[in-house]
Amino acid sequence: MSFWEKAEQIDRRWVYLMVGLAVIVPFIVPAEFPISITPESRMLYDAIEELPDSCTVMVVFDYYPSTIAECEPMTRTALHHFWRKDCKVITLSNIPLGGPSMAESVTREIAREYGKVYGEDFVNLGYKANYVAVLSGMGTSIESIFPTDNSGTPLSEIPMMDSIVNYEQVSFIFEVADNATADYWVSIVNAQYGVPMGCGTTAVSAPKYYAFVGSGQFVGLLGGMKGAAEYEMLVGKKGKAVIGMGVQSLVHLLIIALVILGNISYFVLGKHKRRLS
Amino acid sequence: MLKTTVPVGVAFLSGIALMVSFFFRENTFVGSISQDLKIWLTIVGGFTLLLGVVSITRVNWQAVKNRKEGWGYKLLTLVSIFAMAIPAILPASWSPLFGRNPGSIYHWLFTYLDSPMMATMFATLAFYIASAAYRAFRARTAESTILLLTATVVMLWRVPMGEAFLNLFPGNIPEFLNTYVMNGANLAVQRGIIIGAALGAASMSLRIILGIERTYMGKG
Amino acid sequence: MSGWEIFEIWVIAFFTLALFSFMYKDNPLYKVAEHIFAGLSAGYYVGLIWDTVIITQLWDPMIGGDWLLIVPGILGFLMFARFFPKYSWVSRTSLAFVMGVTSGIFITSQLHGLVLKQMQATMQSLGGGGGFGAALLSIIVVVGVISTLIYFYFSKEHTGVLGVTAKVGIWFIMISFGAHFGYTVMGRVSLLIGRVQFLAEDWIGSFKYIF
Repeated sequence: MSFWEKAEQIDRRWVYLMVGLAVIVPFIVPAEFPISITPESRMLYDAIEELPDSCTVMVVFDYYPSTIAECEPMTRTALHHFWRKDCKVITLSNIPLGGPSMAESVTREIAREYGKVYGEDFVNLGYKANYVAVLSGMGTSIESIFPTDNSGTPLSEIPMMDSIVNYEQVSFIFEVADNATADYWVSIVNAQYGVPMGCGTTAVSAPKYYAFVGSGQFVGLLGGMKGAAEYEMLVGKKGKAVIGMGVQSLVHLLIIALVILGNISYFVLGKHKRRLS
Repeated sequence: MLKTTVPVGVAFLSGIALMVSFFFRENTFVGSISQDLKIWLTIVGGFTLLLGVVSITRVNWQAVKNRKEGWGYKLLTLVSIFAMAIPAILPASWSPLFGRNPGSIYHWLFTYLDSPMMATMFATLAFYIASAAYRAFRARTAESTILLLTATVVMLWRVPMGEAFLNLFPGNIPEFLNTYVMNGANLAVQRGIIIGAALGAASMSLRIILGIERTYMGKG
Repeated sequence: MSGWEIFEIWVIAFFTLALFSFMYKDNPLYKVAEHIFAGLSAGYYVGLIWDTVIITQLWDPMIGGDWLLIVPGILGFLMFARFFPKYSWVSRTSLAFVMGVTSGIFITSQLHGLVLKQMQATMQSLGGGGGFGAALLSIIVVVGVISTLIYFYFSKEHTGVLGVTAKVGIWFIMISFGAHFGYTVMGRVSLLIGRVQFLAEDWIGSFKYIF
């Protein structure tokens, strides 16, 4: 059996081992490369910078715990960004598995850093079922869809919500999503109520949302861990995404090498000819 | 009549009400009806999620009751469901361990078990995608070669080390990729798909409202 | 770091490694973790829906005087008729309500928010200005959108002009899917990095407090 035949039949677990090592090694031997900023991340950052101080914004935790590595750095950095501008932050989630809990933990942790008080500077509305109805219903009245916050306190007893009725009082929405909910924020909220919107999304979804940036429906876009790292750099809060990008390089190079190797063996073993005949 | 006419009528009336309300202000009669229907939908939508949980519980319970293969694991699933659900249902006013707030059993189980396990489950996909890329990602045709080349260059571009490598070549390759690949060809295709899918969703919605599409009702 | 915090980190590490063990081969430890995960996720839904829907959205407003909410309450309960084959048709009305309202919102939002806006952006890109680069980009976008739509148009056979345009469409689609694949690799690897980051920093970091 030739080398290429052996390479073709290699046990998948050797590939897994290589991937595992490619992720672990950079943690042991860290290598730093500069992270360039793409225009889409810059546009999002600039749009938030241009918001008036102390305005009301929404940060939407529309991601599952499965994509926490990509999405949480985005929500964290956004909270830093908004609270530096002294914005009032409303958080909510359309994800029934983990969304409201993650919103609760992340906002409270960062709020402590800025001395923000729950109910005065930020509110976690939590979750309500059926996001189409939720997004559409909040256009008329947030309180009718969310009679209470995530902890069960009636919105009428929360001082920050006194002056907030619907989207008219919201200056900006930052949607962080790992699924199609971002489409509905665009088609229902942005299109019908005209609220400016930015999006942070997983790398898997990012290519789709370039269409919304191109149409101006999103003011900017963070795509995956790279987008999160760019945003961390722009806000000046280097976190897990920047560290993660240092690790990412080696795995990508490994996968590219595997693709090249696989294709060489495909041609060397003459499988392309067999296919043609 | 009860089996088909009533459901079709309900879909028609509720659908028409919501569709028409798009053209009315919130403080009108139509606006207020549509808002009520949306609130109702958040309630009925919640029950649909519970339906799934009841189904899982039933399936696992049957397996445990009949001592089917792997029933011990199914029992573990049942115990986990109740361990998570019961403390969450009990009022937080009884004990800080109940309810859903930070400090509760529910929040702890989510933070230290459920959330990291879900993240790990999806992390394993990195291994599979690497293996799949090695075994199946072949330049078999002109089209697959275009796909392969684009994927490889984009993979390089999205990581710092790869971008540094691309910058060794003349011309600004990263800028070209962002402008003409992501915001050019990719944007165009995604836009085409979005338009096509949205037209499909709108026409399917119309079919549901008019009672032409009834497959969601199931058999029987 | 307190003993309890160390315990928490070790709990996470145990289940993380148990799930990763499947990469070598299926084993009882993986199965235990997998079934606990499935159960906890289902239990999470119950806690959330009980609190956010049944109590705060249905029960509290209802006893507060909004008796009309009994209608969605009944519709919700009727859903469970699906578990009884003889009476499963009863749940159709609830499903019809969900489908009807969602469809009513969808028709307008999909056409107004997606179709019109995306078509408008495509046409506006031809508006000119920005020099040769911008003009080239506009042409790429317009040709790409039209050829993609034609590629997915199956009501007429892809021959002649339609066939050529569909062929151009498939090239565009391959470029986009290639970019998608590149991004997907990045996404999946990011998730793995997240877990390894935890193991390398938090779990191994806790060793110094124990050993």
